[in-house]
Amino acid sequence: MRVGASAMGASSVAPLLAACGSGGGSTSSGGGASNGGGSTPKGPGGIALARPNHPVTLPLDADNKAIPSGMKPETGGTFTVFNYFDYLDKQVLTDFGKKYGVNVQLSTFDGIDQGIAKLASGSVRPDVTEMTPDKLAEVVAGKLLAPINHSYIPNLPGNVLPNFQSPFYDVGARYTVPYTMYTTGIFWRSDKVTQDIPSMSNPWEIFWKSQAYKGFVGVLDEPRETIALALLRRGITDINTEDPKLIAQAGKDLEQLSSICNVKVNETSYQDIPQGRSWLHHAWSGDPILAVNDYLPKGFDRKLLRYWHAPKGHGPIQNDCWGIVKGTQKPVLAHLWLNYILDDKVGYDNFVNYTGYQPPLKSVTPDTLVSKGIVPETLRSAVITENDFGPTSLQEMTLTPAGLREYQNAYSQFVSGV
Amino acid sequence: MYPRWLWRASALPGTVWLFLLFLVPLYAVVAIAFGDVSPIFQLPVPVWNPLDWHFEHMSQVLTLFAPSHELWLVFVRTLIYVVAALALSVLIGYPVAYYIARFSHRSRTTLIVLLLVPFLVSYMLRMLSWVNLLAPDGYVNSVLTGLGILRTPYDWLGGHGFVVVLGLVYGYVPYLILPLYATLDRIDQRHLEAARDLGASRFSTFIHVTLPLSKTGLLGGAAIIALPMFGDYYTTNILSGTPDTSMLGNQIDFYFHGGPQPTVGAAITVVLAAFLVVVMSYYLFSVNRAQKEMHAV
Repeated sequence: MRVGASAMGASSVAPLLAACGSGGGSTSSGGGASNGGGSTPKGPGGIALARPNHPVTLPLDADNKAIPSGMKPETGGTFTVFNYFDYLDKQVLTDFGKKYGVNVQLSTFDGIDQGIAKLASGSVRPDVTEMTPDKLAEVVAGKLLAPINHSYIPNLPGNVLPNFQSPFYDVGARYTVPYTMYTTGIFWRSDKVTQDIPSMSNPWEIFWKSQAYKGFVGVLDEPRETIALALLRRGITDINTEDPKLIAQAGKDLEQLSSICNVKVNETSYQDIPQGRSWLHHAWSGDPILAVNDYLPKGFDRKLLRYWHAPKGHGPIQNDCWGIVKGTQKPVLAHLWLNYILDDKVGYDNFVNYTGYQPPLKSVTPDTLVSKGIVPETLRSAVITENDFGPTSLQEMTLTPAGLREYQNAYSQFVSGV
Repeated sequence: MYPRWLWRASALPGTVWLFLLFLVPLYAVVAIAFGDVSPIFQLPVPVWNPLDWHFEHMSQVLTLFAPSHELWLVFVRTLIYVVAALALSVLIGYPVAYYIARFSHRSRTTLIVLLLVPFLVSYMLRMLSWVNLLAPDGYVNSVLTGLGILRTPYDWLGGHGFVVVLGLVYGYVPYLILPLYATLDRIDQRHLEAARDLGASRFSTFIHVTLPLSKTGLLGGAAIIALPMFGDYYTTNILSGTPDTSMLGNQIDFYFHGGPQPTVGAAITVVLAAFLVVVMSYYLFSVNRAQKEMHAV
């Protein structure tokens, strides 16, 4: 039994759903929220739930307009960037500050939910913030982001992959520009794992066949990702399902991993795999790239590291983005930040020198990364191309509060180890 | 002669401090446990007036604390870890405190400083250092295999409850030793000499005199380390990271860290706090009784 699933019951869920679906009210004024499907369920503030095959245009508000074109950037004072602690090279901040004559500071959060909580409470007042597409409807409905004026961001049409110039979660890129992209897959050491994972009929199944690696197997400490793993293992590709039975079954399947391999739950495979604390891990594609560039022990053969991700439509592919915080005192500079981060050199350096997470730039391709030695040939699959995206791709996106509770409860049961 | 109110007034800063930094936050957690979540951001909305409280979250969390249910099993696991860590801490800490108080005349200051040194490094960093020491190719395995005690490196970090218990002991034992040392140091030597003069052996003197007289320090130290151990989540996160060693603190952290049910995290916190109040009541009762016994000696 889970907290809320059967215990809280529908009686407590229904009013909340109603509040979110309609009580939040539409923020539409002028450019209202719209979606390609027309009948998709509503998320926060009545905004339709975006899916790769159901693009959503986010609403614009009369009292929250983009700045006019042609303004000069603000100078002096402090420009605050809001992001995860270790998801941006400090050199990028320094260089941006030097270029525009402003002191740049980094304000951080542990998780995107915590970041949104800080923004919503007003405890931080940054100028720009990192954001994830699945939370975008929330922050737009809550009026935390300002719309962007594309005339300040020539790098968006110039450098960015076509898919992200008008992504399905923000058609017309009204509020965001993309930052990084990554697949979720399997990261392992070929000297420890004997199975040929890519040739398995369903490679996701490897975690349930990992008795031989007991104590050295891990999954991501992220409810959506880990439940998605269990769904995909059963061949269910609707990783945004809100079906309580499917989610509960996925939770039960994950619970089996404790007896099968005493599974670890963390997000440190980039460190654990090369250093031998883990041999087989559910991971993001940025992890192996980070591992080969920053965490290899002396004398370790980087070719021993392997990464697999599912073909399009059979495994998650995600991205993160940047937005301008509503009420910023430096709106022009905030636009210039969005443009700066999409500069070919800045994006590449930030990726290669620090984050390990690939920017969605046309100039960054598997061939260039392999030829420069950034990524060994054996990890070519960790590099994403434009073809990996599209209406048939799978992306973990916004859910209704009731759906989120189902995921949280199933995951809670799994990580409680009972 | 100072007016009587002056002494009472001297307690005011501490009372204000306690009110602002303990009672108000505690009530905030209660108000969240019986509160709601915001419709858009799913953030906790505390309900301050008890007349407006929602009881469904608390009632369901209490259901999950029923025997054989999810939170009950996590609670039992946490209790076992804490009791085991407490027992080991006493076994390790008492002799150390006893030695410093009774026998370390010239080296006393040095030993106390050495005891305090770990406090200069954050708990998190001390735990992280163990990750490297206990790694498959870490120093612990190197020494044990080098000495022939182990044939192959042991997977210390593979998710073992005893490693979590040892981690808790390592992290908290200095907090037990210091109050225990202070109590042992204050024991009037004449009591011990009287026992010896009356024919008691060293062991008998320890059992019948030293141990009862150090009971308040022992209980105080035990309370000081047990309370944070119950809410601890990063020790098991760092040294194990497996669901099988998850503690109640991990569940609280999980619900507060994000997602649509911060009220559930707050409700678990309130239940744990209520249990600890019962434990602390026993502690206060025992200390009170021990002090009366001491005065009677």
